[in-house]
Amino acid sequence: MRIEISRLTKTYKGGVRALDGLDLDVPTGMYGLLGSNGAGKTTLMRILAGLLRPTSGTVRVGGHDITAADGRLAVQRTLGYLPQSLGVYPDLTARQFLDYIALLKGLDSRPSRRRRIGELLETVALTPDADRRLKGFSGGMLRRVGIAQALLADPRLLVVDEPTTGLDPEERIRFRILLSRLAGDRTVLLSTHIVEDVAQTCRSLAVLDKGRLVFRGEVGELVSRAERRVWTLTTSGPAPSQGRIVAALPEGAGTRYRVITPTAPGPSAQPAEPTLEDGYLALMEPGR
Amino acid sequence: MIATFRYEFRMQIRRPVLWIVYGLTFAVTVAGFGHTYLDLNLGGDEGREPRPAMIVSAILLTSLLPIVYGCLLADRLVRDRRLGMTDVLDTTPAGRTGRLAGKYLGVCAATAVPLVLAYLGRAAAYAVTEGEPAALGWAAVILVTTVVPALLFVGALALAGPLLMPPLLFRVLFVVYWFWGNIIPATMMPTLSHSILSANSQYVAYGLLGFGHYRELPPNVILPPGGIVYGPWPGAALNFLRPEASPAVALLWIGVMIALAAAVLLLARLHTARTES
Ligand SMILES: Nc1ncnc2c1ncn2[C@@H]1O[C@H](COP(=O)(O)OP(=O)(O)OP(=O)(O)O)[C@@H](O)[C@H]1O
Ligand SMILES: [Mg+2]
Repeated sequence: MRIEISRLTKTYKGGVRALDGLDLDVPTGMYGLLGSNGAGKTTLMRILAGLLRPTSGTVRVGGHDITAADGRLAVQRTLGYLPQSLGVYPDLTARQFLDYIALLKGLDSRPSRRRRIGELLETVALTPDADRRLKGFSGGMLRRVGIAQALLADPRLLVVDEPTTGLDPEERIRFRILLSRLAGDRTVLLSTHIVEDVAQTCRSLAVLDKGRLVFRGEVGELVSRAERRVWTLTTSGPAPSQGRIVAALPEGAGTRYRVITPTAPGPSAQPAEPTLEDGYLALMEPGR
Repeated sequence: MIATFRYEFRMQIRRPVLWIVYGLTFAVTVAGFGHTYLDLNLGGDEGREPRPAMIVSAILLTSLLPIVYGCLLADRLVRDRRLGMTDVLDTTPAGRTGRLAGKYLGVCAATAVPLVLAYLGRAAAYAVTEGEPAALGWAAVILVTTVVPALLFVGALALAGPLLMPPLLFRVLFVVYWFWGNIIPATMMPTLSHSILSANSQYVAYGLLGFGHYRELPPNVILPPGGIVYGPWPGAALNFLRPEASPAVALLWIGVMIALAAAVLLLARLHTARTES
């Protein structure tokens, strides 16, 4: 399911312009949305989910105009949405919670609803906890309930807003694998400010900064933005003054720095292989 | 709407606080009145026949217990936002109006269960001790015509009020409102008490169920041919809201309760639409 966004602007009451003339095409598959805090990721996702009305511009999801009531309804029928801060009813069990959301999503037949919930609990590895109340769930478990909830109606479009925040490394990896497995023939839009999440799951991504699109393309392209600009330098003296230090690791008597800068930051500096994070940071470098 | 009804009903009826608060209230009234309060004999002839006995119980039931009912409902609508559930709910294809209606009916029904049980329990006890099975039939009729409309109105108010203020403040104001608008004598100050806008069961009791035939006479009232009437209070302000009870006025009261409930819910629905940006 394709998302076509054109000249999308959202100005909140009070004048904050969270999105500013955004143009973006999201194809089927896994797609990353990177951006720092306040970049406008959540705003974009809430617009796609039909929760917010754009101030101007058009958004079409699978050909449906999201600003029209019937278009929004059509999109919501095929949408799975995991909000940045997912709430649950603490007094329901995981199974009951999913059953309720499934009913709201129109899964009316009880046997098929039960089967679907059983499958999903299996997918997110919550079967042993399915009949426990949600108030006893850990953050990671709630995230998994959240993703199960988003998948109930077998959505063509899955919008997940910073799903890995607050997860431990193992949970995070499990979550990434789950998301990639789900992508297949649907559109999965993953927003995050954790570059590694995108590096490990997406082929294409967009980068938002202050409501504007500053990059869109393949992961490799963003990595190449840092090509010949990443250096490592080991010194026991003062930290390199040139460029942006992205890592500092004590090594023997000195410190090993990783620096992003166009020219070698010192005589002993060695060029290094850029990562997606380097590419992202190079992109966000002021005065690039 | 049916899904929301089911789950909201389930979540509310399983709240321990619901049973604790009602349990304490009944315990306190038993301690205070020496019996379960619903079988209080008002001193007239009412206790001798099932119909007036059940009416008295209904009047007592709707006098103070709606305070408990309203307070228990006060957090239910705003809770979705507090828990962060609105985004998930609003992205389902289920419309907001249907969900609001389902929630309203579900939580009101659940919160009314202890009241209904107490009332039917009283009716069953009466039926057994007095050998009057008709009490159960009358109880059902009285429940539907007096208690249900009153609770529908109070329920809408209690769900929607906390949209405008914190639930705790709402509960305080609600108690104040309840005494002012439903309990105090109409002659004390301008009030909605005893009027067609008050959630009391008396218009139906007197207008539809013939309760006036059973009341003992207060010394200063001359009994009209049809029995005691319920209506304007001599010397009270806002008496235009207190027409004389008749079958038509009783039906009007039921209609007014339901219309007020619908109006309050409509405002709540518009409020949620307005806060979405
Ligand atoms: N309801 C709102 N009212 C007013 N301003 C808002 C509202 N929601 C977000 N904003 C503002 O819009 C901008 C973008 O916010 P948004 O939540 O979309 O960013 P984000 O990329 O999701 O950030 P984060 O990584 O912190 O989640 C921010 O400046 C924020 O302060
Ligand atoms: Mg966000």
